[in-house]
Amino acid sequence: MRSSWAASGASVAESPEATSCPGTFARAWAKAVSGTSYLPMTQAQLETLLHRLTGQLAGALLAEPFDLRAGYRVGAELVAAHIASAEGLGRTVEVIQLRLIRDLGLVAEDVEDRMARLLAAVATGYARALRDRTLDEQESIRRAAMMARTQAERALRASEARFRHQATHDPLTGLPNRTLFTERLTAALNEPGRGAQRVGVCFIDLDRFKVVNDTLGHQVGDRLLTTVAERLCQTVGERLVARLGGDEFVILVEGSAGTDDMVAVAEAALAAVRTPALVDGHELQVSASIGIVERQVAGANPGDLMRAADSTLHWAKSAGGARWALYDAERNRRELARYALSAAIPAALERGEFYLDYQPLTSLRDGRLIGVEALVRWRHPELGVLRPDSFIGLAEETGLIVQLGGWVLAEACREAEAWSAGGTAAPFVSVNLAVRQVHRPGLVQEVRALLRQTGLPPERLQLEITESTMMSTAKEPVRALRVLADLGVRIAIDDFGTGYCNLAYLRDLPVTELKVAGEFVAGLRSPSVGRTDERILASLVSLAHALDLTVTAEGVETAGQAERLRAIGCDAAQGWHFGRPAPADRILARIR
Amino acid sequence: MVWRERRGHNTRAGDDARVVDSRGERMQRPDWAPDTIDIERPSVARMYDYYLGGSHNFAADRAAAQAMVAAVPEAPLMAQANRAFLRRAVHHLAEAGIRQFLDIGSGIPTVGNVHEIAQRLDPESRVVYVDVDPVAVAHSREILAGNDRAVVVQEDLRRPEKILTHPDIRKLLDLDQPVAVMIVAVLHFVSDEDRPAELLRTLRDALAPGSYLVLSQASDDGRSQDERAEAERVYRRTDNPLSVRSRAELTALFDGFELLDPGVVWVPQWRPDTPESAEDAERAVFMGGVGRLGG
Repeated sequence: MRSSWAASGASVAESPEATSCPGTFARAWAKAVSGTSYLPMTQAQLETLLHRLTGQLAGALLAEPFDLRAGYRVGAELVAAHIASAEGLGRTVEVIQLRLIRDLGLVAEDVEDRMARLLAAVATGYARALRDRTLDEQESIRRAAMMARTQAERALRASEARFRHQATHDPLTGLPNRTLFTERLTAALNEPGRGAQRVGVCFIDLDRFKVVNDTLGHQVGDRLLTTVAERLCQTVGERLVARLGGDEFVILVEGSAGTDDMVAVAEAALAAVRTPALVDGHELQVSASIGIVERQVAGANPGDLMRAADSTLHWAKSAGGARWALYDAERNRRELARYALSAAIPAALERGEFYLDYQPLTSLRDGRLIGVEALVRWRHPELGVLRPDSFIGLAEETGLIVQLGGWVLAEACREAEAWSAGGTAAPFVSVNLAVRQVHRPGLVQEVRALLRQTGLPPERLQLEITESTMMSTAKEPVRALRVLADLGVRIAIDDFGTGYCNLAYLRDLPVTELKVAGEFVAGLRSPSVGRTDERILASLVSLAHALDLTVTAEGVETAGQAERLRAIGCDAAQGWHFGRPAPADRILARIR
Repeated sequence: MVWRERRGHNTRAGDDARVVDSRGERMQRPDWAPDTIDIERPSVARMYDYYLGGSHNFAADRAAAQAMVAAVPEAPLMAQANRAFLRRAVHHLAEAGIRQFLDIGSGIPTVGNVHEIAQRLDPESRVVYVDVDPVAVAHSREILAGNDRAVVVQEDLRRPEKILTHPDIRKLLDLDQPVAVMIVAVLHFVSDEDRPAELLRTLRDALAPGSYLVLSQASDDGRSQDERAEAERVYRRTDNPLSVRSRAELTALFDGFELLDPGVVWVPQWRPDTPESAEDAERAVFMGGVGRLGG
């Protein structure tokens, strides 16, 4: 301590007292500045520091020539040592002014004057250093805030990117999901500037994937999907493969060169799916169906395109799967028209657009009109009169047949009741019942109510059902038909010989009549084929008669056919030869 | 009374971070999505810096700190006393052979950092700072640039398992060797609902025998009701509600550690440099202690 003190003050040796009390002063100084700001040191370390600075101050006061720079240095050193507050300066000035000269016993001619200038220099040096330090700290905290902000923004962007990725990708396979696919498809269609004139999609659905899930579990199913996803990606290269959900995938082909291009992609995809996959020790072989749509970018929109792809996929599925189908605008138009037509049935019923024509059923024994078959017609406001084959099939698919068939049944009963007024034995009315109608609970009540409301005798109603109606193992329809038969209602099997052909049901069913399909009758025209058909017909007739059933032949168009049927022993006939379908009054005019 | 940063419960990563995706499904934004940096909002880390005489602070921090001083005039003194406690504790532990320090809630690392003290005694000493304030962390990172034995990590004291498994921490600290864990002037930001005892237990269970816990926080022993209410009012503006704790509560938090003499005391009383510096110790508001994990 003493040596450094001696080294720093040039004239110290001149004053013997000067070396006696710097410790006292340094302690007082340390005490004065304690607590003015946080000092990262012990009290002893602080005293050591201030002791050294005391020596510098004392040296400066006595030095020749007087040098203010010592004062600046001391001020700056105080700040550097973190004695860096307004209070720290105030107390320092105070303690130096009050005690330095006294405690150190400093003697010099102009010591008072020097003291004033030295204190000014210390304060100046201190203030400069504190200002610099303040500015440095402000700069550094602002820089930190800026860095933190940049980082936060970067992290936010990263999180948004990650979030966006999550929102646009399928978590199972990592493929783009429907959202991203739709975006890309829309972009492909809306930005023809990207050079693509045509665009195509392959809409892929695995065949019977549900079986895998149901039998091997969802985990295996999921792994299979992942495998399929990987293979599709490898197969299509740069093109977008997305998983739309479940086992549906789609490949987007931007800049397609035409349908050949698309078929090649679809073939490759089918091959990729077909390759057996080893999943959890199971060798799985699945196939896929693909709907292909390929069209010009101009004028296309994503919704239409995907609807077309969906329809096309269903064509491939309904053709048996494991194949691709190409979109066919004409087929689609027909389906759409059919769909539109079926959708219009309820409203058409309300507006009374349906009516019935009747076709005679004529006895081959005496030529008498024994019954008529009710045939529904639709007087469509735009399409004109429609025959049942243009709307019944779809009505059966959609279930509207129940409503429509119910109307036909009711209308037929209502009209038929009026025919008995003539006095002669009125013909029965034969009404077709669709499968759904027969299987529907409440059929018995419905018929009973109709008979009661219209007053039609039960034996003047014949219900025609097809063989396929009886293919179901359900007991309820048989029971219902038996109840109706017990009421006296006639039950006929329509199109006999072309469908189910399991004769067992004839044993269980209360059938009254077989209607033999027109195609057997058609054979009676040509002698060679006719021979076989004639034998079949003859057998059917004898079988029917053995079972106590009557037989009506359908589709009889010539007198020759009628003659041969009569010869076979067929009971009745229906067809153009005996009369085309016509309104009831025209048919009835023949018997009055 | 609080000077070091910790984010309150009501930060933005909570409820309103929910967003709705294009299909209208609600999705939870990941919890690591950052807050925005708002220097208009007082930060307890920068307020603490202000109490210590630093200029690493903004107008909002100074205004809040001045309001605090108006309520509790000795606030700067308290900060200094606490900082001095930290210094003495680190010094003591370094002398006792500890070479690894984990300072959780380190704030703006101004004068007298842990790594300065520890590395002066042994340059091989390794120090990890942890704070939740992104500005404090950015500032620390700048200060620590070039020091490969000290690092800063942005994490929350309330998620000790995240701290313990953080790769930067794992890289620098060997948890099979003793570590000094510093939780200094920050635990009063952890409310009882956040189970401070549990999080300390999580940290303790990860430490090797011979490790230390240095703990200090605001204590209400000897404070008037008015002073407490005023201080709480000031800190409510910083999203940092205060949970002051008694000596007994603090002692209980050292569960599993052997408290070094003189136990949990007002921080100036913990092994003071000079007898005088421990005078009027209760004015420091902070109580603290150092415990050693036996075994």
